[in-house]
Amino acid sequence: MARTTTPKPARQRDTVDTRPTGPEHAGGDFNARGRAALKDEFLHDSLAMAQTRLAGSRTATLAALPDAPELRERAYAIKQDVIAHLDTYLERLADAVERASGHVHFASDGADAITYISGIVARRGARTIVKSKSMATEEIELNHRLEELHPGLEIVETDLGEWIIQLRGEPPSHIIAPAVHLNRFQVAETFSQVAGEPVPPDVEDLMQFARRRLRQKFLAAEIGISGANFAIAETGTIVMVTNEGNGRLVTSLPPVHIAVVGIEKLLPRVADLSVFLQLLARSGTGQKLTVFTNLITGPRRPGESDGPEEFHLVLLDNGRSQILGTEFDEALYCIRCGACLNVCPVYRQVGGHVYGSTYSGPIGAVITPLLKGDAAAKDLPNASSLCGACWEACPVGIPLHDLLLKLRNRETREGLAGRDQSLLFAGFAQAMAHPAAYRLGAAAGRIAQAPFISAGSIRRAPRPADRWTGTRDLPPIAGASFRDRWKEGI
Amino acid sequence: MADREQFLAHVRERIQSSGARPHEHYQPTVAPDSVWTPSRPRPPVWEPSADELPERFLAELRALSGTGARVADETAARDYIIELARHKRATLLVRWGDEPTDALGVDAPLAAAGTRVAVWGRDADARALCATADLGLSSAEYAVAETGSLVLVTSPERGRAVTLLPPAYVAVVPVARLVPRVADVIAHYAQAGPLPASLCFHTGPSRSADIEQSLAIGVHAPGEIHVLLVG
Ligand code: SF4
Repeated sequence: MARTTTPKPARQRDTVDTRPTGPEHAGGDFNARGRAALKDEFLHDSLAMAQTRLAGSRTATLAALPDAPELRERAYAIKQDVIAHLDTYLERLADAVERASGHVHFASDGADAITYISGIVARRGARTIVKSKSMATEEIELNHRLEELHPGLEIVETDLGEWIIQLRGEPPSHIIAPAVHLNRFQVAETFSQVAGEPVPPDVEDLMQFARRRLRQKFLAAEIGISGANFAIAETGTIVMVTNEGNGRLVTSLPPVHIAVVGIEKLLPRVADLSVFLQLLARSGTGQKLTVFTNLITGPRRPGESDGPEEFHLVLLDNGRSQILGTEFDEALYCIRCGACLNVCPVYRQVGGHVYGSTYSGPIGAVITPLLKGDAAAKDLPNASSLCGACWEACPVGIPLHDLLLKLRNRETREGLAGRDQSLLFAGFAQAMAHPAAYRLGAAAGRIAQAPFISAGSIRRAPRPADRWTGTRDLPPIAGASFRDRWKEGI
Repeated sequence: MADREQFLAHVRERIQSSGARPHEHYQPTVAPDSVWTPSRPRPPVWEPSADELPERFLAELRALSGTGARVADETAARDYIIELARHKRATLLVRWGDEPTDALGVDAPLAAAGTRVAVWGRDADARALCATADLGLSSAEYAVAETGSLVLVTSPERGRAVTLLPPAYVAVVPVARLVPRVADVIAHYAQAGPLPASLCFHTGPSRSADIEQSLAIGVHAPGEIHVLLVG
């Protein structure tokens, strides 16, 4: 096992992961971050473009699917079954992974997962880790912790956008477009520093530079760490979708593959993938399928000469089990497609950093307080106009606005609400004032109607808190003076 | 470190902490978004005849910036590959050592044309050579017409690196292995017994839109893909 423990010569090191991840590191509160974001013109334009592009092709590809409504029903039903019987499916999954010669570790929290992974790093004498597609590891700040525990260890994010923001020490700003807030001149500046010579601000040149540089890392890495979009209980298979191919490289080339997966990602059967694969890429990017859809079942088989020798599945709780059995458990049905971000008028105005969490947009506003506790993320449920566009877009049918409303009620009950809801209104007011926001497909028109949508008309839910309804009596009229008033207010 | 039994017991306890399921009457398709509305005008269900499949596959692949061609037989496929290697001045090609790829008979003509061939599962250095190869060559289990996807599985003769590391990649698939949809492939593997270590839907060239949302092709995996449908 200790095949790679001999000391290795120092290698060129590009990255020390200094990204501030997680709500604790996000610098200021939601409103302070929001004020800065509202002033950033490039950010606005990029977010608007990304939303229009992604939401537009989403609608087109889903509309071409004759049985989209039935698939949404199926997706919801399957996830409901998974979450209602999660213990049974987790046990089945663990058994299946072990049958396929993989190792399973149940991690109650981030520290537990990190201890386990750190043990593997030490045992393998790893110097370089390549990573792909893993929001769960970001949630537990794996990179920081491992680099603290293993001086000299280099951890490289290999998704192009993720790598760029890792080099810059920034957190991601979109679930599926992490570097959407940057322009190519900023990227060229960053790459030039890494290269020690100028890299032209041309997308093709930048991409070629990244390919060459990251290729060395893939070939050198002793460990690959990934997340998963799904984990299949029946066969112990993890499923990862990527467009660049880095996910397939991370899980194929290094001698060890560790997948860190939230316990809610289970699907009972391989057959369930027909439902979710048809929905996932269409909802996220409007593709019928991403370039790579990988189904990985255990390590390489006898006689095979690539694929990992060791496969580890780390099943992460880290607050998820606290959501089970509560009125919020639908938040665990999320497949992280990003569709709700792409239609959210508030996200469009402020971008992902403002949420100060691994998870941004409407689902971030729901899941962050549930995972971290209301006190740590109390502004987030207010970051919504409750227009319902997120719920409409969601391929699993998660009633996101309903959950947001319930969270606000919970905060009110716990005396946390209302300290500062001004950013909500800043984002909301800008959404009102920007005619472009009205062209947002599903969101169009609903913004103005939002004050009239009561959660009760969608599902029986408690009435909004008084403080909230009090401030909801805003004039629903767009206009510069309206926006300016709110701008002055923040 | 969480003990498995304890972990599962905790999950069980949490699930059982609530009484009735709270979402019994929720209908995800009451959403006003038109794509989820059962009463919307539905596009017709695509029920292709076998003849339509190659054309649809090639159209989908081209839409993804891939290159595809239907060729009459294995000899024509071989000629295409040799011509491609010559055109690219390829010095090294890596290929799968499975039976369908062997049957193409590319090794001798390529060697004669100056392209070295390394065979996965037979040549000990094939894996290392993938990193410097100009071309990768493989077969595929299936090709999916609806999406332009190849379905690739692993075995001792079929390595992942062949299809991933070279900048250009060629796959040869008999027309008889075309299926209409992704769901057909899933349905097959759902009943086919244990899955291989890796099963991959490989759909067109590697792409990224991470820099200014401009499309960049070939960032990590092959940017150039040729699929030859034989028959
Ligand atoms: S909540 Fe729904 S729409 Fe949003 S990311 Fe999750 S699955 Fe996608």
